[in-house]
Amino acid sequence: MRRSSSSIRAGWLILVLAGLLGLAAQAAQAEAVDDGAALMSQDQRARIAEHHGYLLQDYDIDYRVVTAADVGDISHFAVLRFAELGVGEASATRRGLLLVIDPAQDRVRLEVGYVLEGVFPDAFVAYVEHRQMVPFFRADRVADGILAATELVVTRAQRAAANAGFDGEAWMAGSGGGGATADADIGQGWTNEGNVGGSAKASATAAGPSPEITLGRYLSAMESRNGDPGLALYTAETRGMLRNWVMTPAQMTNVVRTYRNCTAERARTDPTENLAVIRYPASQRQCAPWFFRRGESGWALDLTMMQSAIRFGRSNAWRFDLAADHPYGFAFADWRFDGNGFPIGD
Amino acid sequence: MGPEDRIRRMEDDGILTERQAAMLRDSLSGTPKGQPTQPTQPEIDGRKRWMGRILGGLVLAMVAVFLVLAVGTGGGGDQIQDVAQTLNQSGEYGQMNKSLSVILAAAILLIVPLLLWMWLHNGLVSKEERVFEAWAQTESNFQRRADLVPALVDTVSRYLKHESETLTAVTEARADSLADMAKAIEDLAEAGKAAGDLLRERGQAVIEEETALRQLYEAQGRIGRGMTTLLAVAEDYPDLRSSDQFLELQAQLEGTENRINVARMRFNESVRDYNRSIRQLPGALVAQVGSFKRKAYFQSEEEARSAPELEFD
Repeated sequence: MRRSSSSIRAGWLILVLAGLLGLAAQAAQAEAVDDGAALMSQDQRARIAEHHGYLLQDYDIDYRVVTAADVGDISHFAVLRFAELGVGEASATRRGLLLVIDPAQDRVRLEVGYVLEGVFPDAFVAYVEHRQMVPFFRADRVADGILAATELVVTRAQRAAANAGFDGEAWMAGSGGGGATADADIGQGWTNEGNVGGSAKASATAAGPSPEITLGRYLSAMESRNGDPGLALYTAETRGMLRNWVMTPAQMTNVVRTYRNCTAERARTDPTENLAVIRYPASQRQCAPWFFRRGESGWALDLTMMQSAIRFGRSNAWRFDLAADHPYGFAFADWRFDGNGFPIGD
Repeated sequence: MGPEDRIRRMEDDGILTERQAAMLRDSLSGTPKGQPTQPTQPEIDGRKRWMGRILGGLVLAMVAVFLVLAVGTGGGGDQIQDVAQTLNQSGEYGQMNKSLSVILAAAILLIVPLLLWMWLHNGLVSKEERVFEAWAQTESNFQRRADLVPALVDTVSRYLKHESETLTAVTEARADSLADMAKAIEDLAEAGKAAGDLLRERGQAVIEEETALRQLYEAQGRIGRGMTTLLAVAEDYPDLRSSDQFLELQAQLEGTENRINVARMRFNESVRDYNRSIRQLPGALVAQVGSFKRKAYFQSEEEARSAPELEFD
C-alpha cells in the first residue's frame, strides 16, 4: 500500500517535471525568436529556434532573432535590444548574435557581440546578408533566408573552432555596434536568371563526356556565380526544379570552397552505364556525393535526385534520407550507414 | 597591405600629393612616440591618490586612538571586577562608562563623515574612470576609421584609373567623379590632420575642454562626410559597387561609423552620469576638494543647443 502511494507520488513528480521542462523549452523558443512583426509561422519559428539551439550547444553562440516594425534607427535599436534581451547570457563565453528585421523600413541588421567580432567581422556579416539572406527575402521566404544565413554562420563557426579562432574567455558582454545592416528587399522578387554571373560559352556549361568533366564545368560555373538554371549540364528535371529555386551567390561560392578540400574518388557507374556517382571518403563529412544521368549530349548533373536523397545535419555533415527512394544506391553498396543515414564507411 | 604602404603606393602613383600623403599619415598616428597621452591626467590622479592616502591615514589614526583609549580605560582583561565594591562606591562604574561613551561618540562623529567622504570620493573616481574608458573606446574607433581611409581612397581611385584606361573617351560623368574624388581626398586629409593634431596636443584632457571637443567633433564629421562622398563616387559605377571587395570595404566603413555612434552615445551617457554626480550635493563638496572637473559632451553645436538640461533627481 505504502509502495503504491510512493509510486503515485513519483509519477506525479515526473509529470510535473515533464511539464516544467516543456514550459522551459517553450520559453527558450520564445526567447530565441521574437517575431513581433509576424513574418513567420509557428513551425518556422520553431525550426529556427531548433537550429539556433544547436548553435548554442555546439559553439556556445547565443543567436536570437527579433522582428519588429518601425524600430527607428535599426543600428541603434539593435544595440539597445541586444542589451535589454541580454543576448549572450545563455552562452558561457558571452558569445551573442542578434538578427533584427524591420519589414516596415525594409531593413535587416545582424548585430555581433564584442566577443564574436573577431570571428564574424563586419565584412563577413555584410556578405551573409547581401549574398545569402536577402535573395531569400526577395523571394518572400524570410524564415528560409534566416536559416540559410545560419548555415554560413555555422560554417564560419566550424572553421573558427578548427583554427582556435574563438576567444575562450567571456571578457566582455554586450555589443558595441559590430555587424552590418542591409536593405531587406522583402518580397521584391528574385530570379536565378537575373543572377547570371558569367558570360561563359555554351560549350563550357554543356554536359561533359564524363561525370568528372561535367562536375568540373559545374564548379567553374559556380565559381563565376553563374546561377542560370537552364545550363545544359543539368538534367531536364534539374532545370525545371532550379527555376523555382533561390540559388544565392554565397551558396555558389560555398559549394566551390567546400569541394576545394574534398578528394573525389573515381566515378562509379551502374551496370547499364546510364547512372553515375562521384563520391568522397566517408570521413570527409561535408563532401556530399554527386549524381549523374547520361543523356544524349553527355553526363548531366541530377540535382533533383540529390535534393530528394541527401540531407545535411547540424554541422553541415551529409546523410541519406532513409525514406527517400533513389536509383543511386549501387555506388554505396560497400558502405555502412547509421540509423540516421550518416555514412560510416566500409 | 597596411595603411602606410597604401599611402606610399598612392603617392608613388600620383594619386596623392606629398602634402596630402603627409596629412593622411598624421591622421593615422594618434600620438607620436615620446609624447604623453594624458598631459594633465597624471596630475589629477596624483592629487587624488594623495587625498585618498591622507583620508585613509586619518581614519586609521582615529581607529588606533580609539583602541588605545578603550583598552586603557577598560582596566585590563585579566582583572575581575569586584561587583560588591562597585555597588558600595557609587558613581565609579558610571564614570568609566561615561568616558568611554564620550570617546565613542567623538570617534563616530569623526569616523562616519570620513567614511562617507571616502565612499563619495571613490564613487566619483569610478564614474570618472568610466568616462575615460568610454573615451578610450571612442578614440580607438577614430583610429579604426583613420586606418580605413587609405584603403577606401586606394580602391576607388584605382578603379577610376582602370576605367579611364580601358575606355577611350573620358566622359563628362567620369570627369565629375574624378573632381569629386580629388575634393574628397583633400577634405579627408585636412580633416584627418586636424583631428590628429587635436588628439596629440590635448591628449585625454580634450574631454574637459568644450571647444576642443567640439572642434574634434567637427573634424571627425568632415572625415565621415569625405568617406561618404567617396562611396557616392563609387555608387555611379555598378561594376565596382557590386563587387565583393567594395561590399567588404563598405561594410567596414559602415561598421566603423556605427561603432563611433555607439561609443559616442555611451561616452555621453557616462559624462552625464559623472557630471550629475559632481554637481549634486554632497558629491559637489567632494568634487571641489578632489579636483574633479566637469567633462564636455561629444556633440555638435546644434546638438549641444538642443540637448536637454542636466537632470537633478
